[in-house]
Amino acid sequence: MTLILLCSIYALAPPTGVRAYDTPDDGGGSVTIEWQLSQDDAEITRYDIYRSEDGETYEKVGFIGPGRTSIEDESTQDGLEYFYKVAALRDTIRIFSEPSSPVMSRAHLVDRTKMNVFVALLILGAIILYFTYAARRGREMFIRKITGLQAIDDAVGRATEMGKPILYCPGIGYIEDIATIASLNILGEVAKKCAQYDTKLINPNRDPIVYTVAREIIKESYNSVGRPDSFDPDSVYYVTDSQFAYAAALDGVMIRERPATNFLVGWFRAESLILAETGASTGAIQIAGTDQVSQLPFFVTACDYTLIGEELYAASAYISKEPLLLGAIKGEDWGKFFIGVVLIIASIIGLLTTFPILGLFR
Amino acid sequence: MKIIETLTNIDRRIIYLILLIVVLLPLLFPSVEKVRVMAPVEKLYYAIDTIPSEKAVIVDFDYEPQTAPELDPMGFAILRHVFERRIKLLVLSLYVQPLGLAQNALTQVTEEFNSVAKTNADSIIYGRDYVFLGWVPPPIIPILGMAESITSVYTVDYYGNQTDTLPLMQEVTNYNDVGLLVSLSGSDIPKWWVAYAQSRFGLPVGAGITAVSASEFYPYLQTGQFSGLLVGMKGGAEYEEMVERTLKIKVRRKASEALLSLTYAHLVMILFIVIGNIGYFAKRRKK
Amino acid sequence: MKRTFPLILVFVFGILGIIPFFVPHPVVQNADGFLRNEFLRILVAFALVLGLGSLLKVHIDKIKRRRENWQYSWILIISFLISAIIGLFGGVRGTGILPTSIGSFQFDIWTIYWNVVMPLGSTMFALLAFFMASAAYRAFRARSTEATLLLAAAFVVMLGVLPLGDRISPHLPSFAQWIMDVPNVAGQRGILFGVALGALATALKIILGIERSWLGGGRE
Repeated sequence: MTLILLCSIYALAPPTGVRAYDTPDDGGGSVTIEWQLSQDDAEITRYDIYRSEDGETYEKVGFIGPGRTSIEDESTQDGLEYFYKVAALRDTIRIFSEPSSPVMSRAHLVDRTKMNVFVALLILGAIILYFTYAARRGREMFIRKITGLQAIDDAVGRATEMGKPILYCPGIGYIEDIATIASLNILGEVAKKCAQYDTKLINPNRDPIVYTVAREIIKESYNSVGRPDSFDPDSVYYVTDSQFAYAAALDGVMIRERPATNFLVGWFRAESLILAETGASTGAIQIAGTDQVSQLPFFVTACDYTLIGEELYAASAYISKEPLLLGAIKGEDWGKFFIGVVLIIASIIGLLTTFPILGLFR
Repeated sequence: MKIIETLTNIDRRIIYLILLIVVLLPLLFPSVEKVRVMAPVEKLYYAIDTIPSEKAVIVDFDYEPQTAPELDPMGFAILRHVFERRIKLLVLSLYVQPLGLAQNALTQVTEEFNSVAKTNADSIIYGRDYVFLGWVPPPIIPILGMAESITSVYTVDYYGNQTDTLPLMQEVTNYNDVGLLVSLSGSDIPKWWVAYAQSRFGLPVGAGITAVSASEFYPYLQTGQFSGLLVGMKGGAEYEEMVERTLKIKVRRKASEALLSLTYAHLVMILFIVIGNIGYFAKRRKK
Repeated sequence: MKRTFPLILVFVFGILGIIPFFVPHPVVQNADGFLRNEFLRILVAFALVLGLGSLLKVHIDKIKRRRENWQYSWILIISFLISAIIGLFGGVRGTGILPTSIGSFQFDIWTIYWNVVMPLGSTMFALLAFFMASAAYRAFRARSTEATLLLAAAFVVMLGVLPLGDRISPHLPSFAQWIMDVPNVAGQRGILFGVALGALATALKIILGIERSWLGGGRE
């Protein structure tokens, strides 16, 4: 009796209501444990989490600071039953909760938390596909003027007149970057024009995979306009994967070869201005484009034309005038309109709920 | 009329030369520019200053030589502050490249203190006052693992000592014994500390970052996820100002000296932009 | 067939790339991990060989034909050989099959990285300051209302981050901060929305075979 009394004086209140359940929407191997704070939460050092397979021998599997009421045990084996206890700890005192009911973790097929993304993907995809379909049936699509892209024809023409090459830099991104892919699409169109005018196209690359893809694209473009002999495989080459060494190499090409036009289109980091400013000093016409917001100011300042963000993605459709691609762009615009409307409605509701009377909306 | 032409077409080499001179001169003849300490810097300073004596501070050196001129002064000033207040210190890097820079900073600052120390208690002693944990890849391992036990993540320190034999490491076992972590980096690393150590284990995190990347970090400061923020050369200079003003440590203030270069460089840029515009308007009026 | 096969490949792998985002099951995640980590690495290795081959071919050709500036091509080839030998035999940190060193100077990739790549990279990076100045001088003209606004904002921000700004007016730094926090962030978000949606549309167009510029364009 005395012992119990003594304990209750020095002891802590244990955490209560311990509940363990299979962590939802994951790939298995994880159980989430929840509890209610110990009444002495303010005094404790931390909570220790204990696990048992037989409900008798427990081992410590994790801990978390005071004030927290849940933790994930990510070391479970799927299909095995586990019991959990949570202990409140202060100095050397450790008070255990009642054990949880048995729980089993398993792998899930679908992550439901990402359903919103899936629905948005379906809606936007449907809008884009609808307009592509409409374009196929011959509907006229109006796309606003993008000066940077209109300049491409002139830029290639100018190089031809001056008898100088065109430099095409696809940036320092990898093949999985959308900006790189968009750049390679533009490269295809530019290469076709170069092939038609018989203008030399120089394409140095920073990533080996981008290089192999770029070479095939240029080759195909020369084939498609019926001039496979004009393709010079030596003008498409790999340089280095070092960011600034690549920039230095391109600067060298600009200074030595004096291209009439520089395309700086793709994924860029700090080398953007180094390239653009060197190009400007050689008097080349420069058409830049990137979706890297932090590099846009540099391009806008130092280049003649800059494709901002999605203009870059729209470019190949715009140049090729392919009706299906134009349809997809139209779909994109409607998708953006849809998102805009959702955002505005959500913002209005968000603003209104800050007024106490309109708390009903919450 | 020729003047107008000259104003709009100054040769770039002249601009480069003038810029070089104004950046170089203040560095050759250093003088310290007074700065007003802004709130984010003051916050970090007091976050370190108020760490209780039983807790330690972790400084994460995670910048490479490219950004060292901007971030080194922050590291030095923070080390001085920590040693002056005799706060227990752990130093680490999540990547291998910054290790040399961290070691350099530690060697220099401990030397500063030990050269004027008169007794053993005055000195900064390895293992008692600070430990250089070194580097354990991949980054996520130390960030999460130190919550449980620091010595089991870093079984040996940078110099190859068994960490559990060091006296300091017997007092500092895990995040519960750490009052603040300061991450100095030119990349996203401070955000990792927030995402994994701060939100999960409640470890207070401060950061020192380059001016170029600053805009990405301000939201975290506003939400209180950073317990203070040093931004670029100016952030470093403000911290140096705090250290000098409150701790009376008189040393060379590299960031504060560089501030003058920075100011002149900006002024030169503004001046050239103004000149260019004067030329442009004069030309337009003539037309 | 020459066109159909790549289009089928793109479709299949494109869909395979999307599925793991929605399906956490280990079977799917492990397959995805294999494609991304193992398969891609092998692919990169082959591409790298092709790339380096192209680089050497271009420069050997230049030397053979004595094209303009052919002497520099020797520098490239010699540096290439030196780093390749050190990389292959010296290892990353003197752990290669032939650990070579003179005194405390190790011949390994680490040494090259610290003593060559780093300083050269830093130098290129530092050039930015100069390029910023000349670009700003050339381009920042008050040509239109928008350009004038941009110019004014640039002045405020530039002065606001300096100690000088504080001396001109204590409100200047706060105003500069406001420009960075509000209009700047608003503009960036606008662009980012477009970018996100455009990325989705581009991915769809390529997966579904609507976009074929990468195949030389046109129809079947």
